[in-house]
Amino acid sequence: MLPAAGEPAAGDSWGMLACLCTVLWHLPAVPALNRTGDPGPGPSIQKTYDLTRYLEHQLRSLAGTYLNYLGPPFNEPDFNPPRLGAETLPRATVDLEVWRSLNDRLRLTQNYEAYSHLLCYLRGLNRQAATAELRRSLAHFCTSLQGLLGSIAGVMAALGYPLPQPLPGTEPTWTPGPAHSDFLQKMDDFWLLKELQTWLWRSAKDFNRLKKKMQPPAAAVTLHLEAHGF
Amino acid sequence: MRSMVDDARIPKPGFWSNWSSWEEADAQNMLGHDPLFVFPKDKLVEEGSNVTICYVSRIHQDNISCYLEGVQIYGEQLDRSVSAFELKNVSFIREKGTNVFCKVDQGGVLGGIVLFVSKVLEEPKDFSCETQDLKTLTCTWDPGSDTGLTKQPSQSYTLFESFSGKKTLCKHRNWCDWQVAQDSQETFNFTLLAENYLRKRSVSILFNLTQRVHPMTPYNLLPKNVGATKATMTWKVHSIGNNSTLLCQLELLAEGKVIQQSNVSIKVNGEYLLSELEPDTEYVARVRCAYTNHFWKWSELISQKFNTAEAAPSEAPDVWRNLKLVSGHPTVSLFWKPLSKVHANGKILFYNVIVENLDKPSRFEVLSIPAPASSTELTLDQCSYQIHVTAHNSVGPSPASVIVVSGDPGNEEVEKGRVNGTEDGFSVSWKPQSGDATGYVVEWCDGPQDLPCVLQWKNLGPNTTSTVIRSGAFRPGVRYNFRIYGISTRRMAHLLEKKAGYLEELAPSDNPQVVMSKLTSRSFTLSWKDYSTESQPGFIQGYHVYLKPKAGEQCHPAFEKTVLPEDSVCCKYTIDNPEQKTFVVENLQPESVYEFIVTPYTSVGEGPLDAFTKVTTLDEYSHTLIHIILPMIFCILIVMIICYLKSQWLKEKCYPDSPNPYKSSVLSLIKSKENPHLTIMYVNDCVPDAIEVINKPEGSKIQFLGTRKSPTETEFTKPAYLYLLPTEKNYSGPGPCICFENFTYNQAASDFASCGHFPVTPQAPRHQLGPLTSPENLLKALEQNYMNSLGEIPAGEANLNYVSQLASPTSGDKDSLPTNPPEPALCSEYKMQTAIPLGLASAPPSENSSLSSTTLLGQGEHCR
Repeated sequence: MLPAAGEPAAGDSWGMLACLCTVLWHLPAVPALNRTGDPGPGPSIQKTYDLTRYLEHQLRSLAGTYLNYLGPPFNEPDFNPPRLGAETLPRATVDLEVWRSLNDRLRLTQNYEAYSHLLCYLRGLNRQAATAELRRSLAHFCTSLQGLLGSIAGVMAALGYPLPQPLPGTEPTWTPGPAHSDFLQKMDDFWLLKELQTWLWRSAKDFNRLKKKMQPPAAAVTLHLEAHGF
Repeated sequence: MRSMVDDARIPKPGFWSNWSSWEEADAQNMLGHDPLFVFPKDKLVEEGSNVTICYVSRIHQDNISCYLEGVQIYGEQLDRSVSAFELKNVSFIREKGTNVFCKVDQGGVLGGIVLFVSKVLEEPKDFSCETQDLKTLTCTWDPGSDTGLTKQPSQSYTLFESFSGKKTLCKHRNWCDWQVAQDSQETFNFTLLAENYLRKRSVSILFNLTQRVHPMTPYNLLPKNVGATKATMTWKVHSIGNNSTLLCQLELLAEGKVIQQSNVSIKVNGEYLLSELEPDTEYVARVRCAYTNHFWKWSELISQKFNTAEAAPSEAPDVWRNLKLVSGHPTVSLFWKPLSKVHANGKILFYNVIVENLDKPSRFEVLSIPAPASSTELTLDQCSYQIHVTAHNSVGPSPASVIVVSGDPGNEEVEKGRVNGTEDGFSVSWKPQSGDATGYVVEWCDGPQDLPCVLQWKNLGPNTTSTVIRSGAFRPGVRYNFRIYGISTRRMAHLLEKKAGYLEELAPSDNPQVVMSKLTSRSFTLSWKDYSTESQPGFIQGYHVYLKPKAGEQCHPAFEKTVLPEDSVCCKYTIDNPEQKTFVVENLQPESVYEFIVTPYTSVGEGPLDAFTKVTTLDEYSHTLIHIILPMIFCILIVMIICYLKSQWLKEKCYPDSPNPYKSSVLSLIKSKENPHLTIMYVNDCVPDAIEVINKPEGSKIQFLGTRKSPTETEFTKPAYLYLLPTEKNYSGPGPCICFENFTYNQAASDFASCGHFPVTPQAPRHQLGPLTSPENLLKALEQNYMNSLGEIPAGEANLNYVSQLASPTSGDKDSLPTNPPEPALCSEYKMQTAIPLGLASAPPSENSSLSSTTLLGQGEHCR
């Protein structure tokens, strides 16, 4: 949009006047110059990014405690089991090209949906925890994660994106059925924490990217105007 | 498979049914499509069980390894695809279960199980039931360890009562309530059943309800009508059933200790009168109750704190006095000790001091001194006074303490003694006062003598003649003075004895400042008059005088030889009288260095032997020498003064300014001794007959020099000097001297022809002092020419030409020979007068004669 304002005119005064008019026409669209009082999505993106980093830090401590509670081999640093039975967990890993091809709305939608699912699973984890200390930590993390969901929803609203509506009957549920063995359940817990970690890392990257994208390019406008001899 | 009934209601032993028939199962087909299965899935066992784990693999590979809690385990391969592992005596690890898993190495295939190991369910301990109100029974027990796992909830507890057949599932793991039915059941048989998924344990008790009554804690315990020595305590209890009585125990505590205990039977309200209390004292009352019909347990205690009221002080304050003169007025300082808590009976607010003049009974003076002051000062006259001191609290005054003082301090000169200190204190004893002593007082100061006195005293009965004075303030090495007073029937105190003592005597820490005087060649006196024996850390018994003798010198018999700590030998003299503070050290060697130290000693030891003082005895003859030297110096001074006064005369006599042979004393000397033929020739008598014109060409000297003998050939002759003043043999420097030379009238002396005065350095070789250009050598050459000339002229015809000058050798002109001495001698010289043959002088000028004349003049110029 802005480069269009800076395109050289035909050389005569009419051309320059036309250029000036074009610039003035587009000025209200420049976010930095639009001082009607709405700060835009920038601050909320920044807050969401900060919250994501805080949750990353919080999860590091929680995962250590919970994996010790599960016992070896789940608390071993090099334990990398096949993903058995955790198919319902939203996967954070995605091909780089695919990820780059996603637009902001899709990314935000995927984030929102993933955390909605993960939060539900986490609450189930909390109900199963045997020790009060662990239950407290999990409850605290769930609250923070709920806050992150709210932040993402706020960003989406600020950008004018609708929130994804859960399809009826597809809501994740915590069903430790009899067919699901305790060992597989522990594997699920392990993968839940691991996916959470990966999602938070991915979200931090997404929000950082979005934050940079949403920065007001006011300086660029000034530069272009000066280049035309004003 | 077989079965057995396991129910608490069915009496044991139960019996097993018959085994069922075998059923076959195809494990491979029953399994799903997963590549690896581990069994048994999610097994729950008790601690100590043996568990067999097996895996079934579809992939038929050998590289499958299994792990128990991350540690590899090894089992038995039953088949190509089946292996079994036996775990023996498994133990509880965590509530979340023990992890066992198998995996195909580097194959990404993993299967596992969680083995839940439960703790063994324990039998409940200390199971008992009791009631507080005969309506509800509360049963309690110790549940032991919790067997809860994520696979198994904690053990549950169920209470059965066999008479009523009722049961209740307990909500808590260590207690349970049981409602007593209204049908007044008295006997109960309870069974407590604990169970989990694996085991059941039970315990039973049988009891009568009324024998298990544990009353509730009493309430509303309050003091009522609290006086100085009495108080009534009231309290309430919760009723138990109808018309039941409770036995309550009331305890009274003072300072944490039970001092009274009473039992009271009550129904609902309790009341008890506490007596024999101390006024103004804090007490704690506490109550507990038990069921009277059958004692089972005391209830919990309830406590209440209260204070008794004040009462008037019960005892007179202990008063003592100190008399002294301040500005000529007798002044009495009154001291009293604060009343103990037992006797004060409250907070002492002030002290009243009533001074009554015994000589003028109508006169009173009342002083009120607010607490906590414990002394006051009164200025008196010579009258006798009776002083009453009372302590007052909010209730009233104490009994009065009465003391009589007189303006006259009385006899202070009393017997002085010593008192021995022990670990317990000072054991002071005194002679009993004959007559009317109503008591004794021992008075002392707690601090050392140099500190302000904190007056202490101790009252003693009339029959006492000794006591032990104890004080936490007593310190070793400090002298304490005790004064013992007798109290007369008139309540007046009289000083009886004085005693001084140390709790523990110490060795002196300092030595006296010793002044040395009367030093002679064989003795000196030491004195330390300023040394105070009173303020020492022990009773000074005497002094040791240490004297370090000269090397090899023996100690004087009065001294004792001793070895000092640094291994040096010393002579020690012991003065056993502490008041002897002078000592004369005698029998010393003159002009010798001695070291001494004076150190006091107590019963414990002596002072430090650190700083010896050095003293050097005088020379024995020094005083004699002084007697000789002083007159000598005086005489020399007299001579010098005389010499100075007679210097003019001496100059005239010895070295007049113008030499006059007639005046010379030498002349008389010569005359008197030898050469009576010698006469004096006057210059004025000589008639000059020729005038010599002196031609002084520049090269003449050079010519002369070229013809003379070499220096090595020149015989060196010592010039004859006559020094009138004595000179040092090795004198080498210039100095004032009188050079008196005259060869004129002595032909023998004419061999030495020089006026040049060379200070002779004896050390230097003679030939070095006679260079070619030296006057001696020059004259030698001249003399040789002159003698040659004499050989040509008959001696009788020869006339003399005199050239005589008095001149300083330093006044030579530019052409004079370089005979500069190292330093010009300030001499007055009587120069040589050389006799020159007239013939030679008048001879026609020839080459030789011209040369001789030139040489002569050269010399003459030099001597001018």
